[in-house]
Amino acid sequence: MYKLLLPLVIFTSNLAFAMDGMHDHGSHNHKDHQAEKYYVDGSKTKISDQMFSEFSSGLSDVQIAIIDVQGMVCDFCARGIEKTFNDDKDVKKVNVSLENGKVLIAYSMNKEVNLNEIRNIFLSNGQTATGIVIKKI
Amino acid sequence: MGIFNKFIVFLVFISLSAIASSRPISWSGGSTIMYQSNSMYSSYYYHFSPTYKYSVGAEYINNRYFNEQYINLKTTYLLNRKNTKMSQGNLYLTGGISTKSKDNFFYGVHGDWETRRIFTSFSHIKKHTNTINYAENEFKFGVAPYLGEYNDLHTWLMLKTKKDTINNIWETYPFIKLFKGDSLLEIGTKSSHWDIHYMFRF
Repeated sequence: MYKLLLPLVIFTSNLAFAMDGMHDHGSHNHKDHQAEKYYVDGSKTKISDQMFSEFSSGLSDVQIAIIDVQGMVCDFCARGIEKTFNDDKDVKKVNVSLENGKVLIAYSMNKEVNLNEIRNIFLSNGQTATGIVIKKI
Repeated sequence: MGIFNKFIVFLVFISLSAIASSRPISWSGGSTIMYQSNSMYSSYYYHFSPTYKYSVGAEYINNRYFNEQYINLKTTYLLNRKNTKMSQGNLYLTGGISTKSKDNFFYGVHGDWETRRIFTSFSHIKKHTNTINYAENEFKFGVAPYLGEYNDLHTWLMLKTKKDTINNIWETYPFIKLFKGDSLLEIGTKSSHWDIHYMFRF
């Protein structure tokens, strides 16, 4: 039984690594540039009206970053996202949705939202930001 | 070396890397403290992650069975990580030394793959002592009975199986993993003893 279990677990643990190298966090090569192009393209980033209205309730004069995040499957592993963004005095509110794989961040209007900064914060927390749109209210 | 001596060495060094594969790296700048207690020993472990790629830490162990105390210094390096919309997979290298003796050290590899519903992991650790060298293999499998959202109480029903090359016997036992916010608690039972593992991240 264990002879079967060993390759099964190793296979499942490494299946993801074998699929492609698009988001290799540890190096900066041409594949990273491809990932970055996709990252700044928010055309695939959608959000339900309900989720957006719940998050934006009570907020005004803010710009809301809606971010698609990959690898955000564990609450305990995603704690750093909220902590890191809340260290920014221009961040008014942060919401993490494991179910939707999205993070919403409300910035003050005078904040110049830096896409690379956002991407690196997710990277330093262990996730991959793949798409982003900014909405101003 | 006789069977008894091998068993004693095994008991001593089972603590060397008992929690080496549990959440080994935090976010960049993040710290983790852990407390673990079982029938043989209790330990306090602190590790710091300068970047998301590696962590360094120290573990104080109070071995009640042999009435001895010592410190293990550990490090873990993230070899590879794969994020998808539904999953995350990690592959780590780990190693450490003990203040017990310069001949006591360990190194190995471990990995995990999880979705919001399923968790799997494996580890293969080589352990060196001044009397014997051996390896330890471990697998974990878990299922979340419900899918919690962020800030909810999360529950995992887990199964762990492990074998070392000294005794060559697979041991399998269940445990439950709970986490909410920055705290994580694992409680299991093995041979009528309770294993408790608490973790806090900041």
